[in-house]
Amino acid sequence: MEHKSVNKSKKRVDAYEKVTGKAKFGADLYFDRMLHGKVLRTEYPHAKILKIRTKEAEKVKGVKAVLTADDIPNNEFGVIIENQQVLAKNKAMYIGDGVALVAAETKKAAKKALELIEVEYKELEGIYDPLEARKKGAKALHEELDNNQVVHHPLRKGDIKKGFKEADVILEREYTTQFIEHSYLETEAVAVVPNERNSLVTVYGSIQNPYATRDAVSSVLETDLNKVRIIQDNMGGSFGGKDENMSSMAARSAVLALETNRPVKMVNSREESIKESYKRHPYYLKYKVGAKKNGDLVAMEIEAVADSGAYACQTPFVTWRSVVQATGPYEIDNVKTDTYGFYTNNVYTGAMRGYGSPPTIFAQEQLMEELSEKLNMKPHKLRKKNMYKNGSETASGQKLNDHKVSLDQVMKKAMAAIDYQEKLENYKKSQNNEKKRGIGMAISYRGVSLGAEGVDAAGAIVSIQKDGSLIIYSGLSENGQGLKTVYSQIAAEELGISLDKINFMESDTSIAPESGSTVASRGTLVGGNAVKDAVSKLKTIIKEVAADNYELNITDLELRNNNIFTTEGKKIASFNEIINIAYSEGIFLSAYGWYQTPEISWDEETGQGKPYFTYVYGCQIAEVEVDTGTGELEVLNMAAAHDVGKAINPANVKGQIYGGVVMGMGHAIMEDLQIEKGYIKTDNFDKYLIPTAKDMPNIEPIIVENPDPNGPYGAKSIGEPTLELGSAAIANATAQALDRRIRDLPLNLERVLIGRYLSKGGN
Amino acid sequence: MLEFDFLKAENITDALKYLNRYNKVKLIAGGTDVLVEMHKENFSNKELNYLLDISNIKEMKTINKNGDSIEIGALVTHSKLEKSPVINKNINILAQAAVTIGSTQIRNRGTIGGNLVNASPAADLLSPLIALKAIVVLKSVNGKRKLSLAEFITGPYNTDLKRNEMLTKIIVPNYGEHYYSVFKKIKRRKAVDIARLNMAVVTKLDKKNRFEDIRIVPGSATPSPQSFSEIEDELEGSNIHNLEYNKLTKKIAEEMVSITGKRWSTPYKKPAVGSLLKKSLKAIIKEVEVNG
Repeated sequence: MEHKSVNKSKKRVDAYEKVTGKAKFGADLYFDRMLHGKVLRTEYPHAKILKIRTKEAEKVKGVKAVLTADDIPNNEFGVIIENQQVLAKNKAMYIGDGVALVAAETKKAAKKALELIEVEYKELEGIYDPLEARKKGAKALHEELDNNQVVHHPLRKGDIKKGFKEADVILEREYTTQFIEHSYLETEAVAVVPNERNSLVTVYGSIQNPYATRDAVSSVLETDLNKVRIIQDNMGGSFGGKDENMSSMAARSAVLALETNRPVKMVNSREESIKESYKRHPYYLKYKVGAKKNGDLVAMEIEAVADSGAYACQTPFVTWRSVVQATGPYEIDNVKTDTYGFYTNNVYTGAMRGYGSPPTIFAQEQLMEELSEKLNMKPHKLRKKNMYKNGSETASGQKLNDHKVSLDQVMKKAMAAIDYQEKLENYKKSQNNEKKRGIGMAISYRGVSLGAEGVDAAGAIVSIQKDGSLIIYSGLSENGQGLKTVYSQIAAEELGISLDKINFMESDTSIAPESGSTVASRGTLVGGNAVKDAVSKLKTIIKEVAADNYELNITDLELRNNNIFTTEGKKIASFNEIINIAYSEGIFLSAYGWYQTPEISWDEETGQGKPYFTYVYGCQIAEVEVDTGTGELEVLNMAAAHDVGKAINPANVKGQIYGGVVMGMGHAIMEDLQIEKGYIKTDNFDKYLIPTAKDMPNIEPIIVENPDPNGPYGAKSIGEPTLELGSAAIANATAQALDRRIRDLPLNLERVLIGRYLSKGGN
Repeated sequence: MLEFDFLKAENITDALKYLNRYNKVKLIAGGTDVLVEMHKENFSNKELNYLLDISNIKEMKTINKNGDSIEIGALVTHSKLEKSPVINKNINILAQAAVTIGSTQIRNRGTIGGNLVNASPAADLLSPLIALKAIVVLKSVNGKRKLSLAEFITGPYNTDLKRNEMLTKIIVPNYGEHYYSVFKKIKRRKAVDIARLNMAVVTKLDKKNRFEDIRIVPGSATPSPQSFSEIEDELEGSNIHNLEYNKLTKKIAEEMVSITGKRWSTPYKKPAVGSLLKKSLKAIIKEVEVNG
């Protein structure tokens, strides 16, 4: 059947308010008698807090509350392990830890009060490297633990000893990746209103995952979930980054709001944001691969060590995704993988677009190209020989047989789009200019949605009004990715109505059913199915009403063009007329939709099972030009082919690809959070560089569609897959241009020119 | 808390009067340095009682060709330098440098005077103007004085500007058609970034295509941009077609290290400064060949 709304590049439903500046963001919020909240942060990354004197601060005119950890009802929260402090109580664990809170009539008064709070610290020796933290005898940074390990995920398949014995070629390589700041345009912002309507606190703001924030706030306040209401405002970017730090900000503001019984607003400056907010995990990666002369991979051994920073945050899950994807999409009979996370006194690390896969892909896809050189094979041929096909078994022992494994297809399309083979040959020849070019590839398979991380279900409410207009409430949230538009398209498609009939409401935890977090690129598949479930129920009701009133069979009816037709094409009535009849007959015209993902399994001891119910496949190829005199690296072209199952909104999918590719390029060549003994040196965008419009390469987005049996209209994911391949592809292209490989991120001027990193502190 | 009073001058005379009358005055023109500095957490308010806005002083916004020299008002923006026909025709290197600064927004606000007075080692207009042997005009209620730019810059973020003085004008000699100039810059990204290194080369070529009166000024290589006299001596009189680049690139790197000593960034800057020299000389040679 031809689609009317889905699989079409419909205009975003939230475009108008955003491009005209009407959209309100967290920092725009204003409430009567509102106070301004501020946080005093620790002076040292690791220090005992001996005494806090707030007396002078309290005397400042306009100051209404000065609070410390002692005033927080329940000071520790966390999604997986509850060890993140709302305010540092006995010990500051990292440089972003809050020590005290102030609420005041003006920002100025709040700032002045912060200056007058006296804190006595005893500086403690810290650990700033996970390799130090893991050493036997290293001091446990969390007093309740006897070592610094956050998590260890093992994966065992086959017999690697036997595997390496069979190998003709063995390569062992080490890689490192860096801390990455999410760099959302809008910094963290919330406003908390106490005792509004029936809620104890209502939290408005730039919150990616309203339910996670609700969990944290209710736990900190020691109150019921139904007393805490989170309403999401427009998001000025998130990329996985507005979760725990927003929970913390919301909890702090809520405590202040209840203390003063006045609304409290808190907005981070960019410096505060960069200092306090969690980052992408830096990784140390050790890879060993064994292959036969003919290119068959026979064994792979991997150790990945991630820096969790001060808190556990999402380290257990981030590193879990690493373990599933660590070998890449290659059939290997003998695999041993160990992925670890360790506490340090660095800034804590958590979710960021891509989660645990970009570091392992950076390593494994470079390793494949190096191996191809060793074997004297073309890189794409080595990949093709080993990559997953339908029926393949993954490193986790999962048979890929219930969806189309499309690696061959995405690779072919990306190669054609950028003239891969021709350029690969051309750039192999010696290049006489100071500027040299190279081309490099990376491929991946990526588990869709949460997988074995936990409960994976989502819901939505669709309510038809008596005039035929619709209201949608969804449990998953619009974070800028286009969720409102996609869900509206699905509703419009099912009911045969136009998009302008739909009003998509903001996320409100007291109305929509709890659906977990809008993460893991699960929005379209999981939440989209929930919306589809709700509108399908309504569709049946509408057909029943029409069938009753016009004496027809419901199977003979279809909804399209805002009307109801017989299957023969005869118009029965307009959508509005039928709704009006239904309403007058007292028929219920709202529905809850719910979707739970298919069953999965995981054995923590062996890393075997069915970690995800389906996967997406992607290939990105980068063409770069390197100035061998100065170290400047320019990404000229990138082809990005992604199997999305089905593109509900092709223009939006392309937007995701453009964004993911350029973000990946930033990670590859310039982004570099400089942190020295726990102090963050790059605390604003003059020092922490991200790509500008001028750095954009020419990007060729390629949408591949192999509908998945579980997706709405076959749709799967696109948000994160676009980001996981870029740094590997760019590193591979750079290695060809330089005839020298860089195994550490970022590939900045110094590494490209002289092969090593330089820093002011020296190294 | 940051606290100060705001003053505004509509002409040079008023600005100088204010400067003379009040203490701890900071001038603000485009604000692209001042505002960034004031935003810093550790900014000391002790040095700031007044902010004096000079951005409306029209007499400091002009570019005039005056016989043998070109006079550039201190409030001329980077955008204006980039687009000015007088600059492009006579001192093209300034337009080349201006266009690499910041972003369109920064270039629309930032001024040549501010770039010089701020005296950052990486200031993109400093190295070309030093190479051009520019003169700065400093005025106060007591009168005016002229200084060579090289003398005016006394160190990183330091100048010879007196408390009651204001930089009003930059005078650049107008070099004839036998002079060539080029500006090169290394950045970590293509826009909105300060120079990792830059280089200005200004030279005359004699009839036999030999360098004459050559000036080589790298930026962000030394505490303040300065002429590299050893490499200039080495090149002076050399024919453009007989250059031993390997020797030259090594020599300029050595000269840099002899000024700065070994620093954390030296392992990168040594080869990079050599590369910039080679690129600059090749660009000049190409221009000579194109123009005949």
